[in-house]
Amino acid sequence: MAGHIKSAGLIAAFLVIFLPIPALAEDVNFSVSPAEVHIDNLPPGEATQFELTIHNKDDLAHNFSVAIYSPPAEQIREGRTELPDGSWISLSFPRIEIGPSSQANLMVTVAIPQEQKWAGEDWETWLGVTAESGDVLGLKLYVRLLMSSSGIRSNAGFIAGIIAAIVLLGYVGYHYSRHRNKPY
Amino acid sequence: MRAAIVSTIVAVVLALVVSLPALAQENATITITMTGLNEISISLDKTQWPLGTVASNTEYETSPAIEWCTLTVQGTCNVNTFIVGDDAEWVSDPGAYKWTLSNDGTNGEHIYGLWFRMSGDTARGYVPITKTQGEFWPYTGGSGSSLAPGDTRQFGLRLLTPTYFFSGRQMQTQIIISAVVA
Repeated sequence: MAGHIKSAGLIAAFLVIFLPIPALAEDVNFSVSPAEVHIDNLPPGEATQFELTIHNKDDLAHNFSVAIYSPPAEQIREGRTELPDGSWISLSFPRIEIGPSSQANLMVTVAIPQEQKWAGEDWETWLGVTAESGDVLGLKLYVRLLMSSSGIRSNAGFIAGIIAAIVLLGYVGYHYSRHRNKPY
Repeated sequence: MRAAIVSTIVAVVLALVVSLPALAQENATITITMTGLNEISISLDKTQWPLGTVASNTEYETSPAIEWCTLTVQGTCNVNTFIVGDDAEWVSDPGAYKWTLSNDGTNGEHIYGLWFRMSGDTARGYVPITKTQGEFWPYTGGSGSSLAPGDTRQFGLRLLTPTYFFSGRQMQTQIIISAVVA
């Protein structure tokens, strides 16, 4: 606690510096495309993939990290809800170094668990790409991932169709047997 | 007999009418749409704020106060932007000592405050930066709209140091400004 300083006017003791490490201080200019991805009709139990491109527009190599984020409630597109589980999204790499004026493609895999409760839903989640830097100000770019699962209406319709067929066939069979057994 | 056959056919047709669209939907192709060739990108013309030696319980502002840094929207799509801060860590041993970022811009023992102010934003004035991502521009309740490619916004920062802290330690923090397609 030797260096523990109370706030009263000991100017000489206030030796805290609030600045980036010079070796790491660097601006980062980068882009991500596409900025928005729609996946429609993805059935529970199946997976699909798409590519994101990270473009390092600087003259220096930089490290970029990628992660899944829950969007703020007020930012979620109308009619959608937050993706229930971020583990449904997997990335070909969570971190990569990209050379100067170069780009890298990130493969994103989306898989919905095979449970009926996940059918017929519309979700949104964000993929965040952060440029690693030692500067006080850093940048992150989000990609909107809008996902829709298929299934619940189709299964309900199919079951209703089967039930209707059974009921009608039973009705026909009943009347047919009654007609056959009727004494002349 | 004929009635029975006709009834059976009607039943099967009815069942198929109800279930076939469903079956068709079950086998629908998964579609992935990348919205156009859109690219998201923002840039900052300043990313360093070397304060040097600071005193406790003191406010520091960037110079110029609210036109210190310019955010420019690049890429091809309109964006909403956000800001989030973090604790300041001792550079020599980040796990051993830190200043905790307060959640309302105030300070305390080993607790510091961060603020930003957007040029021209007289409604909000200085806004605390916290460890929870908050709206940068536009903001809820404000009249501003999403930023279009080529748009710029100027802003400045304010630091409020802890009421007391361990001296002689170089501290470092990072503020992340982020963007998502509007």
